[in-house]
Amino acid sequence: MSVWSEEVQERARAIVARYPEKRSAIMPLLYLAMSVNGYLTDEGMEEVARWVDLTPAQVLSVASFYSMYKRERTGKYLVSCCTSISCMLAGGDDVLAAMEDESGVPDGETDEEGLLTVEHVECIGSCGGAVAVQVNYELIEGVTPEKGRALVRWLKEARPEVVNTDEMQTLFGSRTSFDWAVKEEGGAVGPYPAFQPLGTVRGGDE
Amino acid sequence: MTTEREMVDTVTITVDGVEHQVPAGELLIKAAQDKGTYIPRFCWHERMAPVGMCRMCLVEIETPRGPALVPACTTPVNDGMVVDTKGATVAKAQEAVLEYLLINHPLDCPVCDKGGECPLQDQAMSHGPGESRFVEFKRTFEKPISISELVLLDRERCILCARCTRFSEEVSGDPLIEFIDRGNHVQVNTFPDEPFRSYFSGNTVQICPVGALTAKPYRFRARPWDLEKVESSSLFDTAHPRIEIHTSHDVVLRFTGVDNDATNHGWLSDKARFGFQYISSDDRVLVPLVRQDGEHVEAEWNEALQHAADRLGMIKDESGGEALAVLGGAQGTNEDAYALSRFARQVLGTNNVDARMDDALASHFLAATVDRARINDLDTADTIVLWGPDLKEEHPTLYLRARRAAQDLGVELVVVHPRANGLDDRAGHKITYRPGGGFALLEAFGRGDHPEFDAAVNGKKVVALVGMTDLADGPKLPEAVAAYLRSKAASCKILPLNSRGNTYGALDMGLAPDLLPGRVALDSESAGRLAGHWGQIPARPGRDTRGILEAVVAGEIRGLVLVGADPVRDVPDSALVAEAFEAAEFVVSIDTFVHDSNRSADVILPAATLSEKDGTVTNVEGRVQRVNQIRRPPGQTRTDWAILEDLSALIGSPMGLTSAETITKEIAEVAPVYAGVSWDLLEWDHRDGVVLPIEGPAPLTHIPVMLEGHGAPQAEFTLHAARVMYDDGVRLRHSPALRKLAPGAIACINPADAPKLGAREGARVRLVTRQGEGEFDVVLDEGTPSGVVYVPLNQRGGVSLGTDPVVRVTVVT
Ligand code: SF4
Ligand code: FES
Ligand code: FES
Repeated sequence: MSVWSEEVQERARAIVARYPEKRSAIMPLLYLAMSVNGYLTDEGMEEVARWVDLTPAQVLSVASFYSMYKRERTGKYLVSCCTSISCMLAGGDDVLAAMEDESGVPDGETDEEGLLTVEHVECIGSCGGAVAVQVNYELIEGVTPEKGRALVRWLKEARPEVVNTDEMQTLFGSRTSFDWAVKEEGGAVGPYPAFQPLGTVRGGDE
Repeated sequence: MTTEREMVDTVTITVDGVEHQVPAGELLIKAAQDKGTYIPRFCWHERMAPVGMCRMCLVEIETPRGPALVPACTTPVNDGMVVDTKGATVAKAQEAVLEYLLINHPLDCPVCDKGGECPLQDQAMSHGPGESRFVEFKRTFEKPISISELVLLDRERCILCARCTRFSEEVSGDPLIEFIDRGNHVQVNTFPDEPFRSYFSGNTVQICPVGALTAKPYRFRARPWDLEKVESSSLFDTAHPRIEIHTSHDVVLRFTGVDNDATNHGWLSDKARFGFQYISSDDRVLVPLVRQDGEHVEAEWNEALQHAADRLGMIKDESGGEALAVLGGAQGTNEDAYALSRFARQVLGTNNVDARMDDALASHFLAATVDRARINDLDTADTIVLWGPDLKEEHPTLYLRARRAAQDLGVELVVVHPRANGLDDRAGHKITYRPGGGFALLEAFGRGDHPEFDAAVNGKKVVALVGMTDLADGPKLPEAVAAYLRSKAASCKILPLNSRGNTYGALDMGLAPDLLPGRVALDSESAGRLAGHWGQIPARPGRDTRGILEAVVAGEIRGLVLVGADPVRDVPDSALVAEAFEAAEFVVSIDTFVHDSNRSADVILPAATLSEKDGTVTNVEGRVQRVNQIRRPPGQTRTDWAILEDLSALIGSPMGLTSAETITKEIAEVAPVYAGVSWDLLEWDHRDGVVLPIEGPAPLTHIPVMLEGHGAPQAEFTLHAARVMYDDGVRLRHSPALRKLAPGAIACINPADAPKLGAREGARVRLVTRQGEGEFDVVLDEGTPSGVVYVPLNQRGGVSLGTDPVVRVTVVT
């Protein structure tokens, strides 16, 4: 008996059908489970386990290996600041500290209201545009401590329903790793990766 | 095994300057070990696939590009390989690996159970750097966490070798522990609120190379160097896995598994591993008890024996030996069973003997199937057919072996069972049928209604594990299944299953109404042949357990001798047993505990149990192995055979049995298939036992014939009543660690049936059959098909519902 709605189960069936081995579907199903509750609940992992014929412990083993599977509720905006080597050299730790200070949310935590989660992350592949920051996995490059503070204030005040990389890059970014010729449409409406099939505007798996 | 080994191609390798011939393709770590060079290791385990995780086994081999360090556990040997396991480079690598492994290890050896038998401790001493350059903080965890009712985990001690997680996934098939988190935070753990509830969890404690996993029943009880040890066999599993018994100050503190190619590969079920607490239970009967005015009072041995002998002798004189009967004998050694068999025939003058409790297959089928399979045959079959009990519940060693064959050795597995079965996930075909519908299903096979079954069986090399799936189909179905498979397969070997202790040994000793020792059918000719040893014995077969109980009720049998038997709990027809025990005139019980069947016995004679006596036992494949004594029998307890010898003398027909070893010799003389079996043979040349018959034709061969049975009953609900690993059996009841694991009096029904019954999880239902009725707690269970009620047998608070599968279900609350 599934804890998911018929609509979510329909998505799950489609995902499982894509793989010759059920267990291969574990990662997209985890995103699906995350989109149902906003984060990975124990119940969600147990449900995934049933879909792929694994034990919940095996599912947890996978889920806890990847940092983008959130096992605690995140804020409406998940603000991730890169502190790996390139960004660190460009002042990533200062950007992080500035955003922590401005938001009052320590690294890895969420404010009481459930609006902001601030975290440090390992390299997100934008080393040329260090310091790189993401909001709900929408990228901003060339962030400085001041711009980081501004970003936090903007999120708190404007509370945009959709965050979009181009808009944020214009407002809070500077140097980019390459010329962003292609203008991205849409944006993210929740703290889930953009390729997650539910709950995003951009979608991407179909 | 040896013959197979001889046929394997060999290659030449040089280890530390010495040339060796080793099997081609073998892993270097194993090849070196077999030639006497031990390469240190943590993650590699002989009975599991290599993973190369710990790097402790680094050795240097010569390559075209110069010497290179490789892990010996993932490197197969090849011809001409030159290996250095001890040189300076290797030693440096080993030091480095150990320094890394010890970075986060707490080195709390003085308070750790494993200290003294710990591979990490040992190898840190033998190969480690002696000093660490690590001065930072070590990681810490909450200590210890309970990951199941039996196992504790101290995560900071773990070196992440993944032996435990691999065991639970690859070997036992219940991966409830896993590596959780990443990087410096990786730890072994369970899912929140889903404990490591595995029937095999204790094996992870044994193979953990550090003290991270410890067993609750043993934790802080002893230091390894204080333990006395002896090898023996477990009677909690009919494969009789090899165990080592460890005692301190004469108290049994643990059993460990001993690696054995023939049976258990070193693994034990938790029942076999932790089923030792009953031995030191305060509830043991330690002195003879005699009933006076409805109460048991303590008595001297001579009084109790005299009383028993007088009454048994009197009944024999008045009504003849047929008025006496013997039940039990399946929980002791072969020597005890032989003494009992001889006691019944020679001293009591009766063939009314039965080690089975009216829930087992025919004696000839169990004891003397002409084409009995060996456990190792599972590995080389084309197809294993399991139509019998859930092996995971009743035959844990066979479960692990069948699982391995199907999973790793390419053997096709077919499971025929009325509900979910522990091997379903490895079965190529699973056929589910309604309890009581076995014969109808077999007929359907005969008609060709199940082509996938035919494809797996017809013309194939089949090993069939057959036994009672539940009580509904009766004991004849497995014989019919065996006969059917034999008629279809190209070659067929059969393992007829019975799940009680040393039943096969007991039957081999003649503890059945139609058998004599050595798989000999009882008739006037064989009785005559025994006369030289036993004197004149009745030549007509006696009654089986059911016949005995009916005769007691009818007043034809007046006296009963129970030996380690609890028929009140074990015989399915509880009404009949109750009536018989009411009617019995005189009951003697030789036992370790007072229980439902001897609570009002006239005499209870206190018996020694496993670890308190020497002898031999015979397992499911007919393998004879030693059991060994390590502690003194407590109180005034004595071995069964010695008690029976004294009784025989007092009754006036002494058997002349003087020691367990001389009984083994007598068995070898009297019982044809046991010729040649001696303690010397089992202790020196055949530590893993010998499979009988050793050579020559067997005296009795049983060839199952096709039998007809009834069709499936028409009823809304049918009952599937089956044994489970943890029940309320006498020994488990007195083993506190295991006692609490029993499921209790539950009735499992399919969730889809719940609404129409008006039942929900935890509701109380009344189950009524033709032979019994009682109340049970409902468990909603997807594994039980709709229309079936599954009841685990012999649970505390439960009742026996008999053998008729038609059951009426009504909700009480
Ligand atoms: S708990 Fe023991 S067996 Fe399991 S990974 Fe850790 S060290 Fe290895
Ligand atoms: S180091 Fe920050 S994006 Fe690569
Ligand atoms: S034993 Fe070879 S890597 Fe662990």
